[in-house]
Amino acid sequence: MVQFNLPDNSKLTDGDYYKSEKDNENIKKFKIYRWSPDDEKNPRMDTYEVDLDDCGPMVLDAVMKIKSEIDTSLTFRRSCREGICGSCAMNIDGTNTLACTKAISDVKGDVKIYPLPHMPVIKDLVTNLKTLYKQLKSIKPWLINKKQSADDTENIQSRDDREKLDGLYECILCACCSTSCPSYWWNSDKYLGPAVLLQSYRWLQDSRDEERKERLKELDDTFKVYRCHTIMNCTQACPKGLNPAKAIAGIKQMIAQQ
Amino acid sequence: MSAKNTWKLHRWSTILLLPLVVYLFLKIIHLSTLSYQSILSEFSSLWGVGFILIFTVLGLIHMNTGVHEILDDYVHSDVAKKVLNAVISIFFLLILIFVCLSLLLMFMG
Repeated sequence: MVQFNLPDNSKLTDGDYYKSEKDNENIKKFKIYRWSPDDEKNPRMDTYEVDLDDCGPMVLDAVMKIKSEIDTSLTFRRSCREGICGSCAMNIDGTNTLACTKAISDVKGDVKIYPLPHMPVIKDLVTNLKTLYKQLKSIKPWLINKKQSADDTENIQSRDDREKLDGLYECILCACCSTSCPSYWWNSDKYLGPAVLLQSYRWLQDSRDEERKERLKELDDTFKVYRCHTIMNCTQACPKGLNPAKAIAGIKQMIAQQ
Repeated sequence: MSAKNTWKLHRWSTILLLPLVVYLFLKIIHLSTLSYQSILSEFSSLWGVGFILIFTVLGLIHMNTGVHEILDDYVHSDVAKKVLNAVISIFFLLILIFVCLSLLLMFMG
């Protein structure tokens, strides 16, 4: 059965308080989820005071400042710092988003930062995305075109066909959408989730792909697609402004028409 | 039944139920103005019996697919799911039998 209560060892406790040395008016408190597999302690919320006059404008800037100047043990993923790689996806101020594109000024009051919800935590803000990558692999996210691989000629696509991929190919697989979906929380082992289904739709819509029928046959399963109940959290959460819910509706329509 | 057909059945039953629910709602408002005898004759007419039967069957199909969706969402144990599925199927069958018997009694006066 679905578990509605947190297990005792997952209950949050108050953590350490790191006071700013400067007596500045422009101080913002960052409350960050901390958990380490190295001890058997419960997760805690550490509070860090950050001087915004000496910090970049984005949440990632503040988190990096905390790591380099206040607490080097803070663990998180980051790479491009411009919303392209999707590494710094985390739950900020109650919303799954990218820390590098979320402005500190957009958050009223203290900035509360948690790892992506309902994902196994490896340490602090780093979650285990193994299941998601396994699911991504299962939909074969590559072009399948046997004719094309037999000769070296160009595989031409019309402008109209290319336009069908707009709003799909931009996905950076940050997992903000999937981890905001209650259906994915409940059935993440069987339901593919919005991120993977958006990727799936991207290949279903590609006019050059020859395996559409097989791809759809694979998806016609009680759990893989039909756990989507159009809750729309995915669309609301997507930091790239994409619409995974529409893509899932498109997949359902394609399966129904088959 | 395949996942695609279950999904289609749930959607079609929704679409078909919509006008029936509106009709039933209007009918209930209209019934408040009628006498007991008129209500009985309305429901024991061929149209009345047909409407109730269609509404019940469609409603039960819709409820059945809906409840199974909820079970698939929340119940992860296969054994628990099988038991609940059986209980729900029996419950729906009993409702259908109860409705049919009521209609038969009403139709026969």
